[in-house]
Amino acid sequence: MSRSRLTVVLSQAQGKHPARRALEESVVAALLMEPGLDVSVVPYLYDLGPDHTGRLFLESIPGDMVVLAWMYPRAAFWVLDRDGIKGRFGESRLRPPADEDGEESGEPEPPKGIGAVGVPDRWIYCLDLRDFNNHDPYVQEVRRIAEECRQRREAKAPPTLVQLGVSLAAEKPAAAPTFTPEQLLQQPGRRWYPVIDYSRCTNCMECIDFCLFGVYGVDGQDRIFVENQDSCKKGCPACSRVCPEHAIIFPDYKTPAIAGAPVGSVSGLKIDLTKLFGGADAIQIAAQERDRELVADGRQAVGLTVGIPKRQADRVQGPKDDLDKLMDSLDALEL
Amino acid sequence: MPEDLIFLMGKFEAVLPGGLRYARNHMWCRPLTPTPLPPVLGESGRGEGRYAFGFTTYAMRLMQDVYFLDWIVGDGTDVQPGQHIGHIETSKAVSDLFAPMAGTITGFNKELLDDPSTINLDNHGAGWLFEMAGDAGGLLTAAEYHKHLADNWEKTQRLIKGKINEDI
Repeated sequence: MSRSRLTVVLSQAQGKHPARRALEESVVAALLMEPGLDVSVVPYLYDLGPDHTGRLFLESIPGDMVVLAWMYPRAAFWVLDRDGIKGRFGESRLRPPADEDGEESGEPEPPKGIGAVGVPDRWIYCLDLRDFNNHDPYVQEVRRIAEECRQRREAKAPPTLVQLGVSLAAEKPAAAPTFTPEQLLQQPGRRWYPVIDYSRCTNCMECIDFCLFGVYGVDGQDRIFVENQDSCKKGCPACSRVCPEHAIIFPDYKTPAIAGAPVGSVSGLKIDLTKLFGGADAIQIAAQERDRELVADGRQAVGLTVGIPKRQADRVQGPKDDLDKLMDSLDALEL
Repeated sequence: MPEDLIFLMGKFEAVLPGGLRYARNHMWCRPLTPTPLPPVLGESGRGEGRYAFGFTTYAMRLMQDVYFLDWIVGDGTDVQPGQHIGHIETSKAVSDLFAPMAGTITGFNKELLDDPSTINLDNHGAGWLFEMAGDAGGLLTAAEYHKHLADNWEKTQRLIKGKINEDI
């Protein structure tokens, strides 16, 4: 594997959906015909554990890469980051077809997160395989990205002298481990865990206060991270509702806002009406979801008494509805 | 029988039948005979009975064609108000769905699971979503629901245009 070629990895959909498999096959077939690309296929990115060959393969890629996956680009990028596959966020020009009612929104404010750390000087571009149902837009975008990467590399200052073993004339690939297709494509079990978007995360620690299952931890640099991914209760998205910056993503969740859809901008996507149909505050929904998991685990429900963001105290009180009264009575019981 | 009201969504006239009650999360509520409508609203303990629920025309206008409907609790489940009970996907929208009041869900409209388009054809009749036993005393009259829509219309329009993304 060399730094001057662009690595393209296609991450398969879960299950055996024939239309999805067909698109994957046609995208890969078309990409294999493009010059200058190293193309590989791995299973569903989010389900890969640390020992999976697919992940070891991704970790071994030294240069720029494009990852095509069945999830929002933001979700894929931060899944990779957590797996130690880091890079700068490559901007894709691919936009899903806008619906006729869609309108352009203004530039969203840049988020003020603590950012990723240990980021090498290479770019990772993530494309969403749900945006189009034929391979052309993807192949064109990969070509555009390959050109962008090539120009960027050429614009850099020539390498300084002490780079042992590297000459511009003949690229000798390092002894790369070989990965057989059978190992790469071994089906992983399904996983469920939160993914932190560090471009938005402000390290406020609300999530670690809220989650009572030990999923979150603090690393050696006092940064929040998802320490025990598999302690997370399957299907529970409660912590993502509690995060004030919408920095927590569950890529498999049904509503786009939690699954990693672009924040604060209109794309051709559907509107998420959860807030309208909610009838309850996000924090209250989160507390109920958490209680359900606690009780299922044989533990006591806690309502709003534990680990609830302090900003609730500043909230202007509207007229109380049934849910407020219920929560008040739970508080009064002092569980 | 109080008269039907109309809420204007841009040029679209959303009809709110006067004889129903309404939940703030855009579901209508109809008592199943012989339960009479709760005489005194806003007081719990006065509205016990069995009711059918469905989407208001306001909700339908926001969602458009229903593609897929999914419930995550079963018949006979006790629910709290605001409890997450399902999910809907339409041509224009996706959303989680939540219980409109406390009580027990006594049955879901199973026909919708095969053909959710019935919701679009007849949202007040054959498109009913589920039945519940509980206390509907906290629900709104058509007039109160109309006011709820009016109070929130501007904010809702901003949500639709993607300019708000507050509490998910």
